[in-house]
Amino acid sequence: MELTKNITLGVYMPGNTVIHRLDPRTKLVSACLLIVLLLIIKSYQAYALFFIFMAAIILISQIPIGYALRGLKPMLPVLVLMWFFQLFLYSNPNANTLFSWWIFTATDAGVHMGNLISMRVLFLFVVTTTLTLTTTMVDLTDGMDSLLKPLGRIGLPSHELVMTMVIALRFVLILAEELDKIVKAQMARGVAFDQGNFIQKTRKLFPVFLPLFINAFKRAEELIVAMEARSYAGSKGRTKMKTLHMSRVDFFATGFILIFTALVVLFILHFPTMIR
Amino acid sequence: MSIEVKNLCYSYKRGTPFEKKVLHEISMSVEDGEFLGLIGPTQAGKTTLAQHFNALMLPQSGKVLIDNCNTCLKNADLPGLRQKVGYVFQNPDYQLFAPTVGEDIAFGPKNQGLSGSEVENRVIEAMAQVGLDYETFRNRDIYALSGGQKRRAAVAGVLACHPRILILDDITAGLDPRGREEILEVVKKLHQQSMITIIFISNSMETVARLVNRLVVMNKGRIVMDGSTRDIFIRSDKLLEIGLEIPDIMHIANRLRERGFDLPPTLLTITETANSITDCLAKRQVSD
Repeated sequence: MELTKNITLGVYMPGNTVIHRLDPRTKLVSACLLIVLLLIIKSYQAYALFFIFMAAIILISQIPIGYALRGLKPMLPVLVLMWFFQLFLYSNPNANTLFSWWIFTATDAGVHMGNLISMRVLFLFVVTTTLTLTTTMVDLTDGMDSLLKPLGRIGLPSHELVMTMVIALRFVLILAEELDKIVKAQMARGVAFDQGNFIQKTRKLFPVFLPLFINAFKRAEELIVAMEARSYAGSKGRTKMKTLHMSRVDFFATGFILIFTALVVLFILHFPTMIR
Repeated sequence: MSIEVKNLCYSYKRGTPFEKKVLHEISMSVEDGEFLGLIGPTQAGKTTLAQHFNALMLPQSGKVLIDNCNTCLKNADLPGLRQKVGYVFQNPDYQLFAPTVGEDIAFGPKNQGLSGSEVENRVIEAMAQVGLDYETFRNRDIYALSGGQKRRAAVAGVLACHPRILILDDITAGLDPRGREEILEVVKKLHQQSMITIIFISNSMETVARLVNRLVVMNKGRIVMDGSTRDIFIRSDKLLEIGLEIPDIMHIANRLRERGFDLPPTLLTITETANSITDCLAKRQVSD
């Protein structure tokens, strides 16, 4: 019973590789670019290229692959479900029927679509996890803050938005830890969470969520007081102890990402889609 | 009912780069009817070890026998074992969740499948044991309780399950002196009246000195000392070394010994020390 073991979202893995040292803005923009690419890639060939690229990044950044993939575990059932949904629901006029049973019909186009969607989600996960594992929360905040600053001119409170997001991310781990403790306290009084049918199991969760929510509100209130006690007043007049600056490595990295993007675009033009 | 621990090891986040070993080859046992203090500085592994005592945590290596039942076995009745070994958590906020005190205390017995009137009897009995008046507190809102009352409600919630071993995880933490005295009084009475086995986890030596018969001292995931409370306190230098405080009265006794007072080494409480000092002074007067 250790919930936090499987949460890799928002966890930072200390290290001293090139990837760790990159300016957070470089990493953020690159990650966004990679995500956009992921959304337009539609062929196995382009995915293969993407796979090689991500594998290289992960190798360079020395992230333990086993640990990075651990966060996928809870997502696995959803992925499988999605694959089957695509398999049976997607079809187009020139697809070949593989088999058909009752109201379900599977086509080769459906298989491809299932693969496409699964790979998309998988790679989205890999890209974002790589980013958070190699970038500290402070760097990530500063980077986003700096990137969103121009939007301040049209009235978007960029700093406040980023702060909210970062706190939300932090709370994922905190809430998981609290949930762990509450579940244990209930198990100690004889609740058997893994016994009973679906409805019984669900009903057992109510006594868990009540203290979880109340504790979450309490924590939020304490956090507010702690921030105010240190005179936090949003972005107004706020200066930074560490200012971000781009170094040579960042320019190389940006160039590298741009070349990769061009390569992927070439691949996309050459192998447009796997769904015919 | 006894608990036996053999070569127990445990690591948090095992298999990740953040792996942290918190228990190293722990072996110990708890006998029936004992009043045991489990002490050690923070991060010593006290809570982790204690949660193995009622199968909330299962050994990664080594084994834990609760009432001669190995918790690692596939067919072990873990919910049943957890009913026999009650666990009161460090923070009552994780434990109390029902809207009122009465409903919260009834939660455990209800899980045991008791009938309405039996549950009610258990609630009345448990509230009397911890000194919460039934009529006054039965319908009291949980969040309207003071810190000390919350602790007592949490203890009652566990007692209502009729455990044969009671684990109290640092239940005096964060209480004011009065709240602390009240809850300690409750614990003392429990052990005297019902002869229930109690494992009392704490990092305050002052508290355990006058409470328990046997002490197990942990540091950095290992048991460093295990023996009767007096034997442990004689080696107070070792306790200070691992960052534990000894009761103020022992400091005073040590200072007096340095100045030539012939005090016995086994003094624990204020009364004992005071008597020894007066004896010493009387002897001095005689020799003068």
